[in-house]
Amino acid sequence: MTPVAWRWLVALLIVLLLLPLVIPAFFVLLLIEIAILALFATAFNLLMGFGGMVSFGHAAYFALGAYTAALLVKKAGVAMLLALAAAPLVAAAGALFFGVFIVRLTATYFAMLSLACGQIVFTIIFKWTSLTGGDNGLLNVWPPPLLKAPAAYYYFTLAVVGLSILALHAIVQSPFGYALKAVRENPRRARFIGVNVRRHQLIAFVLSGFFSGLAGGLFAFFNGSVFPDFAYFNKSFEPLVVVLLGGMQSFFGPLAGALGFKVLETFIARQWPIYWPLFLGIVVIAVVVLLPRGFVGLLEARTWRIGPARRK
Amino acid sequence: MEFLAGLFPWITNGPLILVQVMSGLSVGMFLFLVSVGMSLIFGVTRIVNLAHGSFYMVGAYLMVTLIEGLPEHPLRFWGALLLAPLGVAVLGGLIEVALLRRIYGRDPLMQLIVTFGLILIIGTLVLIVWGPDNKSVPRPEALAGSVRILGQPFPSYYLLVLGLAPLVAVCLWLIFYRTRWGMLIRAATVDREMLGALGVDVSRLYTEVFMFASWLAGLGGALAAPTVAVALGMDGDVLITAFVVVVIGGLGSFAGSFISALLVGELQSFGILIIPAISIVLLFALMAVVLVVRPWGLLGRPEE
Amino acid sequence: MADRARTPQVVLQTRKLKKHFGGVQAVCGVDLSVPDGDLRAVIGPNGAGKTTLFNLITRDIPHDSGQIHFQGEEISALSPHAVCRRGIGRTFQITSIFRRLTTLENVQTALLTHHRRHYNLFAPASRLYRDAALALLERVGLSEQALKPSGVLAHGDQRRLELAIALAGDPRLLMLDEPTAGMAPRERHEIMELVARIGADTGLTIVFTEHDMDVVFAVAAHITVLHQGWVIAEGRPQEVRANQEVQRIYLGQQVARSR
Repeated sequence: MTPVAWRWLVALLIVLLLLPLVIPAFFVLLLIEIAILALFATAFNLLMGFGGMVSFGHAAYFALGAYTAALLVKKAGVAMLLALAAAPLVAAAGALFFGVFIVRLTATYFAMLSLACGQIVFTIIFKWTSLTGGDNGLLNVWPPPLLKAPAAYYYFTLAVVGLSILALHAIVQSPFGYALKAVRENPRRARFIGVNVRRHQLIAFVLSGFFSGLAGGLFAFFNGSVFPDFAYFNKSFEPLVVVLLGGMQSFFGPLAGALGFKVLETFIARQWPIYWPLFLGIVVIAVVVLLPRGFVGLLEARTWRIGPARRK
Repeated sequence: MEFLAGLFPWITNGPLILVQVMSGLSVGMFLFLVSVGMSLIFGVTRIVNLAHGSFYMVGAYLMVTLIEGLPEHPLRFWGALLLAPLGVAVLGGLIEVALLRRIYGRDPLMQLIVTFGLILIIGTLVLIVWGPDNKSVPRPEALAGSVRILGQPFPSYYLLVLGLAPLVAVCLWLIFYRTRWGMLIRAATVDREMLGALGVDVSRLYTEVFMFASWLAGLGGALAAPTVAVALGMDGDVLITAFVVVVIGGLGSFAGSFISALLVGELQSFGILIIPAISIVLLFALMAVVLVVRPWGLLGRPEE
Repeated sequence: MADRARTPQVVLQTRKLKKHFGGVQAVCGVDLSVPDGDLRAVIGPNGAGKTTLFNLITRDIPHDSGQIHFQGEEISALSPHAVCRRGIGRTFQITSIFRRLTTLENVQTALLTHHRRHYNLFAPASRLYRDAALALLERVGLSEQALKPSGVLAHGDQRRLELAIALAGDPRLLMLDEPTAGMAPRERHEIMELVARIGADTGLTIVFTEHDMDVVFAVAAHITVLHQGWVIAEGRPQEVRANQEVQRIYLGQQVARSR
């Protein structure tokens, strides 16, 4: 990343750290949701933008994380931090289990079956009432008193999400990330430089599931409750929309996309909750049909055109 | 055998098994109507229509409205059964012309995202028009009761479905293999460009195929309406099951859809007896086994 | 290198290799034997089975029957990436590179995979094997293009890049499927001379397919001629050129013209 980009990030970080001191609690809570969604979407984009694999059932791993955290705290009396640490592990295990079956498939089948896997997780959560509470969900999943205040949970989330995104960034820039991008570009060629393509994709899938589960765990304590529709395909659509809005090829695109998404949701879903999925569907279709590379992609295209001309 | 009889008390009950098999076939019939349409769309246009479950749902809801709206008459049910799928076909046509035409030839994942978006749009529209409550469709008078098969009760309505099943399958077979239109469709699944080069209006063929497939899904929903709770979420349930059918049978294979729809229908029917709550897990297991052995389905073709 | 010339081992050997597609027998029982350090051209008209043979050897597709030995080891059950690790590098008929990565990144990725560093999740890859990658690019004449996205390179440069990628794996055997496809005649000679030079410098065994006979006869040490899935002739260029069968089937008018 360029020094200029680093400077922008640091500035952003400072702003984020100071915000709770000046804005009302409602916006702090919104920022927490944005951060969690940003993590979920960035994890999703590891798979989609960098791995070339589009999962339509990623909410499953978010939900697995959320329910793990909630169940450990409520039924086993585990401390919040431990429960939160366990969340991504269970989600990763789920990703490993499903991944073994679906990573081997070509893109279309992979998309379809990932959707099916997501629904399977939903159905299991929904029907296993004795464990998960079924449709009623699990309530009163709160963080310890120290972290209960909006500002406190905000800083906590910022820390966890910030570190996770740094980790994901490192992964993308690492040798693993390079090989993953190679697999995305040209699986056949990747094979012939010695990459075990299937294994590589599976690892990416598990990593993506891991961080999605962490986002889910964070959300469980933020929301105070977990419900089966955390795993429903409507929820799987969210990271997809965010990545489309923010641009798939850029690492930080999903962050911008998450911001835009949540702002839209706050205005539209709270006013007209029934129309929200309708709006979502229309926006996504419009973006795909009219703007193939997302809004950030649009920006990138513009600067690229300016760049070469300047070099003279 | 005794151990099994302990676990599955129904296993020695011949008539019960027969009745379960028959109802499995009926369920398979609904699945077949949805899956063959999805397979057809994929075979010709190379698009996986994720909104196909939504068409099924719209077919069921249209039945609700038609039955409520049409005047009381012995033939009311049959009239509704005739009209509901047509409504869905019109919806399909609108979608194809207004939207899908812009994304043919695009990256398949973008196409999937678009049809995924359609699920949300259609689902919300259904909610707006019909409201959140469950609806039901009464069976026609003549088929409202049940008959006895070897002493076991069996809903008469399912007899209709079982009777229609071979009829529909034969009609479809005739259409695909004995009409010019069917031949064009089969040619399109093999080589679209060639077909265009031969002067066929491929664009119109696509629209016709999509409308026909939508009609089939709508028929499935309309037929199934008297047997299930017509509710939001129908689209998701049938979609996933249709996926399993299509993946096992192979995308683009007519015979594959038929065989695997019946197979999955039976599995669902018996699955309820074995593991009541999660027959979906059985489905997943079956699908996993098939995919490990043949990653493109039993009768499908490897994707390029 | 002198030692190797005195006692040539057989690096690649196939025995009765067969492959059919549908009703067509693409490779009908090919026996191929390539000694160490050879620069072998595999020629034949379109449909002769050259690319299929390559794909069988590199395990891109499974064979029906027969054996494939590489450095004495039977490899016909291995997966492609395992074959690559054993020491076979290849390039493809249709240029196969990582388009959205830069030229340098293409080679770096090949290098770090070869050195088994590709499961490393946290080191910054842009610094790894940078010098080695630049050296390889220098070798194939692409140093100027190192930082460009490889997708914007000219066709000929992309093929050079593919060569660099294949070389990054430090192969013992290099298989080049139509390395000069789509190039102008002068560039074709340049590239094949580069290939020959690399072969001579490193002792690499090279097998390539080619349609341009001028290039083949200029560069190849031995030639294998395929026709409809069979090997119909094999030997030094002069021998092959003089072979009646080959003249009849393949060289035909060219030979007649050169007389």
